[in-house]
Amino acid sequence: MSIFLDIKYAIRQLFKTPKFTAITLFVLVGGLTISLFTFSFLYSLIYKPLPLPGGESIFRLSISTNGDGRSIPAYELLEAKQGLQSIEHLEVFETTDFRISQQDVGKTLTGTYVENEIFSFTQTQPILGRGFTPEDMLSSAAPTVVLSHSTWQREYSEDSNIVGKVIRINDLPTTVIGIMPQGYHFPVNSQLWLPLPQRLKSLTADTREYIQAYGRVKPTFSKEQAELEIGQAMDAIYQQTARQFQKPEGKLAATLYTFPHAQTDGDGNLVFTFFNLIAFSILLLACINVGNLLLARAIERSKETAIRAALGAPTNRLVLQLMWEGIIITLLGSLLAVLLVSDLLDYTDALLHAEVSENLPFWWRWGMDVPTLLMAIGFTIVTIVLASFIPAWRSAKQDINSTLRDGTRGAQGKKAGKMSRILVTVQIFLISTLMLIGSISAFLSQYLLNMDTIEDYTRVIHGGIFLTDKNYKTPEQKIRFFEDFYDRLKRKHNVENAVVRGYFGTSELVLDGEDSGAQNQFPKIDTMSLIGNTEFFSAQLVEGRHLDKRDNPNAPKSVLISDSMKKRYWPNESVLNKRINIRLNDKLHSVHIVGVVKDRLNESSIFQGHSSEDEIYISGRQFERSYQRIFYRYSGDVTTAEESFYQVLFTLDRTIEPYRVEPASKNFDMMKKAMVMTSYITFGAGGFALLLALTGIYGLTSNTIAQRTHEIGIRRAVGATDKEVIQMLLKQGSKQLAIGLSLGLFVFTLISFAFHGFTDGNIPVVLYFVLAGTVTIGLLIVVLAAIYSPTRKAVAMEPNAALRYE
Amino acid sequence: MSPLIELNNISKLFVTEEIETRAVNQVNLSINKGEYVALSGPSGCGKSTLLSMMGLLDTATTGSYELAGVNVSQLNANQRAAIRNKKIGFIFQSFNLISDLSVFENIMLPLTYQKGLDKNQIQQQVNQVLAKVEMGHRKNHFPSQLSGGQQQRVAVARALVNSPDFILADEPTGNLDSKNALAVMNLLEELHQDGSTICMVTHDPQSALRARRQVEMFDGQIISDSINSLSVKAKVDSSTSQVSIA
Ligand SMILES: Nc1ncnc2c1ncn2[C@@H]1O[C@H](COP(=O)(O)OP(=O)(O)OP(=O)(O)O)[C@@H](O)[C@H]1O
Ligand SMILES: [Mg+2]
Repeated sequence: MSIFLDIKYAIRQLFKTPKFTAITLFVLVGGLTISLFTFSFLYSLIYKPLPLPGGESIFRLSISTNGDGRSIPAYELLEAKQGLQSIEHLEVFETTDFRISQQDVGKTLTGTYVENEIFSFTQTQPILGRGFTPEDMLSSAAPTVVLSHSTWQREYSEDSNIVGKVIRINDLPTTVIGIMPQGYHFPVNSQLWLPLPQRLKSLTADTREYIQAYGRVKPTFSKEQAELEIGQAMDAIYQQTARQFQKPEGKLAATLYTFPHAQTDGDGNLVFTFFNLIAFSILLLACINVGNLLLARAIERSKETAIRAALGAPTNRLVLQLMWEGIIITLLGSLLAVLLVSDLLDYTDALLHAEVSENLPFWWRWGMDVPTLLMAIGFTIVTIVLASFIPAWRSAKQDINSTLRDGTRGAQGKKAGKMSRILVTVQIFLISTLMLIGSISAFLSQYLLNMDTIEDYTRVIHGGIFLTDKNYKTPEQKIRFFEDFYDRLKRKHNVENAVVRGYFGTSELVLDGEDSGAQNQFPKIDTMSLIGNTEFFSAQLVEGRHLDKRDNPNAPKSVLISDSMKKRYWPNESVLNKRINIRLNDKLHSVHIVGVVKDRLNESSIFQGHSSEDEIYISGRQFERSYQRIFYRYSGDVTTAEESFYQVLFTLDRTIEPYRVEPASKNFDMMKKAMVMTSYITFGAGGFALLLALTGIYGLTSNTIAQRTHEIGIRRAVGATDKEVIQMLLKQGSKQLAIGLSLGLFVFTLISFAFHGFTDGNIPVVLYFVLAGTVTIGLLIVVLAAIYSPTRKAVAMEPNAALRYE
Repeated sequence: MSPLIELNNISKLFVTEEIETRAVNQVNLSINKGEYVALSGPSGCGKSTLLSMMGLLDTATTGSYELAGVNVSQLNANQRAAIRNKKIGFIFQSFNLISDLSVFENIMLPLTYQKGLDKNQIQQQVNQVLAKVEMGHRKNHFPSQLSGGQQQRVAVARALVNSPDFILADEPTGNLDSKNALAVMNLLEELHQDGSTICMVTHDPQSALRARRQVEMFDGQIISDSINSLSVKAKVDSSTSQVSIA
């Protein structure tokens, strides 16, 4: 019965001090929301199991040699697969892009080549039509496809007669046999499923095809046993073929990851821990603030508590009685935070799916779920312990006698005052560090967003093409293909200009007479092959001529070099027709320079001028590369322009699967969007942390000052002016500000040094001072305001009232 | 000679949660320099309120107050603080020492708010009043380490340190036993002898009789004002509370 009275009393207290209640609630809801949202978002991203029946037992195969992850060699896997004891349904798949065309327009969708048991393996049946049968897998079978619900919805307006219809996929008439239920995109983000091509089923030992696989460990085996068995089986086969066909050396080992784990590349644990720690420390800050506010309340009531104790109330009753306010406010805060997080998660989910829906793994769905709710309960308990129990317990364990005798809050108030000064310092330190780091990253993202990339990516589409050794056996065949592709593409009416680019990484410039075998001594220079003209990338000719048809396999090998390279190595001589030696993939080539072009940005010179790194351009008609990217600038609309790529491709070779045919700006735009979004989130969370710290500082300061009301009254009674009182209080606040800020600046200095090294010292040093100065002044103003405002209030009351204040 | 303190129709109204309390009701009072006034009356009649208005710790709701010929009702907060600092000394029933400061620092407090005093001067003045209240041997103690009587002697010393024109004491002996009370009363007596103007609130008739003039309040009004122990009953004009001595 008396517990109900305690609760009623606590509720009345909360209503009586609406400002206190509002601040406390705000701090709590903020801290809980940030930590809960971070947890839930990352949990879904990293740990959430596949939303399929038995989804948590599905494993994805991963292979490594000597600890380094690598692609899974297809031949070895398919051979080893036969005799496995520990694995159920080890199935292979290959994810790639498919072109669905309707007349002159089309769309690229991510799809998967699969084995016929995929749908029964994942225990999900089509909602329309049927899944694959073993007959569909035969090379003699008519081409078939199963579509995802969203593809059916978007591309075929949920046509209920779709099953049996023929659509063109990679220019091949293919019969739709089924539609999968909504939300099903196994294995990752598949929009359509096709039978595994014959090519992948009848591989020979010399192939270098790669593949992916999933499966389930049989209940009688452990995951480790299964990993060992697959690893050994594949390695046995690999060692034979490796010797025979000069594949890279090394022992194969297998690891089984869940799909979510594999998706985050195993770095998930680190990311999860790091960000949750940051978020949790914000919750901790919130708890400390709230705990202190409640402790101040408990101290105000210490006399009452002492009287109750003197009358014989047991300690645990006293503690509980002091805790009720905190408990009620925490429960309310948790409830609000859960509602808020639920909304935020829904919003995040909608936003991400609107932006990049088709690239997201299908199990990445955000929303309120059981783990989040359990975590909310956990956080609530932590909060109650930190913010209610500890202050109440401390207050209840006071020295009753001295409190009753003294009549003032002296001793307890003094302890609490010291504690709160330390907390204010800690908060200023945390927030200044946070803001200084934030200002660097804000600057960095601005720098990158506004970076002067001289390349003009408007109206440019690019796509990658990989030529297999099996179908294109000789280098000449590969060169021929890309040349053909280039010529045909340029002939399209809507293609203005094109270029085929092969990346060779770096080549070594072997300088005159120095080829004495001393390796790694020579300068390494970024090298790429081109069919077409460097002006496509805004690298205009400085002297000489561009690479063109003359630079064919029968002609001497020619190169273009960048202006910076010319100036670096041959500042005082003409380089045209100069002969130089370059080592490319361990082969020495003697080439002659036919032209010099302007510098362009390359990846190793982001923080420096374009001239800081050199480039060599070789002719794509003289050097072959299996994987190359085709860039072209188009006129007219983008879908027709994309279609042109496929038209050229399908006339040349229908079996080739192109890689990411899309506007060149897409990546850049996406990176930009991601950066903007990340900085919004960072700013949002950082801003909130700042607000939290400020409310905390304000709360702590006003409590300290409230506790000193009586003292302030005495000082004023003996003649201190308002100004003198305010100055005194500000001076004490400044001390904490100074300590916290210097610690923050110290950390910032350390970070700046690291950052300075990272950016090759290319950001002027003065900028760090400007950033530090701005943050310092900003914080100074804000924190002093947070201290000033309760001070102002303290002198607003008549000294007489202050003297009566207890 | 114009009076040091001149209160004209002073009233104080407290409004809390819709309850109005007229703590002081149309009081007229003048005190001359060098007078020793005892203010008494039943609990809650408005003595402390009147005293705090006289000490500029609170402002009157209506009425005017002239201190040494200056109309203080017109002054701003800083000017009022300066007057409290230089002209007035307070002694409270509950001592009101700052617990974080030592005896010496507590006494020094009013001087720290004056301009142009050097360290030696301050030290000298503090030591002087410390000697006067016989607390020199305790100057580095903290208030919590002192007895009640000692604390009140420190409070008296603090009230004296700025050599005020005017000392206000609100039940200075209320929390003390008779021996300590006597010591404090003797101190006040001494100050009076030295020429200080004193206004003291007290419940204790014994103490009241030590003052030359007795003022009695009831329900926010002054009902009698007499010189010495002659105890002349005053006739109270009901409309103005004007007191005339018969
Ligand atoms: N700050 C305040 N708010 C509301 N009412 C007040 C306030 N201060 C005093 N009062 C009221 O004014 C009246 C006079 O109070 P005051 O303290 O002056 O009495 P007092 O004569 O000093 O009594 P005591 O002898 O008990 O000290 C009382 O009724 C009191 O309740
Ligand atoms: Mg009183």
